[in-house]
Amino acid sequence: MITVLFIGIVVLLFIGVPVAFALGGGALLAVVWQGTIPLIALPKYMFSGIDIFAIMAVPFFILAAELMTGGALSEVLLRFASQFVGRFRGGLGHTNILTLTFFSGISGSALADAAGPGAIMIRMMRKDGYHPEYAAALTAATAILGPIIPPSISMIVYCLVYPEVSPVALMLAGVVPGLLIALAMMAINHYVSTKRHYRSSDYRPSRREFWINTWRALPALLMPVLILGGIASGAFTPTEASVVAVFYAIFAGRVIYRTLTWDKLPGILSRSALMTASVLIIVSMSAAFAWVLTVSRVPQDLSAWIVGMQLSPIAFMLVVNVMLLIFGVFIEPLPGLLVLVPILAPIAHAMGINDLQFAIVVIVNLTMGMVTPPVGGLLAVTSVVAKVSLASMTKELWIFLGAQLVCLGLISTIPWFSTVLPSMFGYK
Amino acid sequence: MFPRVRAARAQGGYRVEKFDAWLIRLNRWALQWILAAMALMVFANVVLRLTTDTSILWVEEMSRFLMIWLTFLGAGLVLRYGGHIGIDNLQEAFPRQAKLIRGVVFALMLAFFVFMLIMGIRYSIFTWGQTTAAMEIPVGAVYLAMPVGFALLILHALIMMRGYVREKAVLADAEFDAESAASI
Repeated sequence: MITVLFIGIVVLLFIGVPVAFALGGGALLAVVWQGTIPLIALPKYMFSGIDIFAIMAVPFFILAAELMTGGALSEVLLRFASQFVGRFRGGLGHTNILTLTFFSGISGSALADAAGPGAIMIRMMRKDGYHPEYAAALTAATAILGPIIPPSISMIVYCLVYPEVSPVALMLAGVVPGLLIALAMMAINHYVSTKRHYRSSDYRPSRREFWINTWRALPALLMPVLILGGIASGAFTPTEASVVAVFYAIFAGRVIYRTLTWDKLPGILSRSALMTASVLIIVSMSAAFAWVLTVSRVPQDLSAWIVGMQLSPIAFMLVVNVMLLIFGVFIEPLPGLLVLVPILAPIAHAMGINDLQFAIVVIVNLTMGMVTPPVGGLLAVTSVVAKVSLASMTKELWIFLGAQLVCLGLISTIPWFSTVLPSMFGYK
Repeated sequence: MFPRVRAARAQGGYRVEKFDAWLIRLNRWALQWILAAMALMVFANVVLRLTTDTSILWVEEMSRFLMIWLTFLGAGLVLRYGGHIGIDNLQEAFPRQAKLIRGVVFALMLAFFVFMLIMGIRYSIFTWGQTTAAMEIPVGAVYLAMPVGFALLILHALIMMRGYVREKAVLADAEFDAESAASI
């Protein structure tokens, strides 16, 4: 049964059947092949996979980000960021990184970051004398912060497939590793800018302008505070925080920034609904797939096998990282999480690895897959918005990827990065 | 107030085209209202909880059911936009066989959809006798989302099949395209 499941899924995926239907179809084939399990179990598990109140944070965080990015938000954040780092060498590059980092606190996905503010900043960097390939590579590399800094769709899905981890703790756990990666990107930008003599930006705000810029950015900056603070303090559950974020975004867009008009609303709603459907149909189908796995005792057997190899936790982390990096090249983060986490997370737990640290390692790693050449969703989108070829952009990307690998190594070996913030709020 | 729908290309006769435009519009309209309703009722409950320390009992259940419907009603339209995440390296590696590969993919998907349509109907009938905890409606009515969703998937797949298999044509407009779907 399990052979049929795996061969079925690999063949279906390989010829190009969408991930959702490959997972569902593979599960169907396996159940038909096995013969004694009633087929009616399939729809049952497909429903139970999405009939969960906690997942509602997914559509709401998508909707909140779409509402927030509809207007002048990118420009406001950009000005705000620019006054802190603009004066340094490579100032616009630093501004780009800082803006995307703020933005990750509003949106839960990586591509939204690259296609929204990223696109604007690539244009500005190009005008300022940066090589467009470099600007694109910088943007793509930094956009991976979207799912790492909360709110994060990947984190909600992770907690869904591995309920030992609380979504509150995981969101807190992502902050420090996210900032670490942002710092690393800035270090690389500094190095490259010095070598190539990229200028600092000319923007030198007066004290008055500084306060105006800050005042204007404040409502946008408050959104991550509202989300993360609300969740961490226990005032809201993640789902409640996500819906509060939706209405805060409507308020900010309508009353404060006045860029959100009612006639934009149907478009934003249908866009968010379609994004939601494309995510949740995978979640639903993979629930049937995961159930077939469990029935065939794959996670248990695999876990016994790996524990039997008596790897040290460090060696296990190394194996997992290499495996995920390879896996991440071929598959998007979300299906990756749904298929691999139910197998890997219990093993890591059994080996004494901190659950939160492991979750962050998996999420960072799979998200990096979006910028790993030759294929990656982020790479493709960024090269399109920057109007540069994928190959030339890839050349500029390696140094950023190298820095990210170093960060990944640090996060994998030192639990502190992932656990410091959650432990302040009483999560282990 | 409806977003304008641009058909990717003429696929089939005038009557099919007209039906198609209507189908897409109706499908979008349903999705918009479902998502709006979910957000409104869950938000109302948060406000109620914070202000009066009470909450409407059926909201949690109702919003979950709406999310199930949103997922299945949306899947077909996502297919139209080419928005389902998949691996198309094989087609790119063998451009000459790409049409054949896409044809096989579509045939397999259609087979799966038809199968799930039947399973969905059976499951909905199977659970019709049970009622939900809070609203006391038939559980099967909630689970009707699956056969309806897969019927829509079949419809959308049949309409787009010719254009897609021949030249990979998908729907695209300012509001949504294949890339934004894969963005999570």
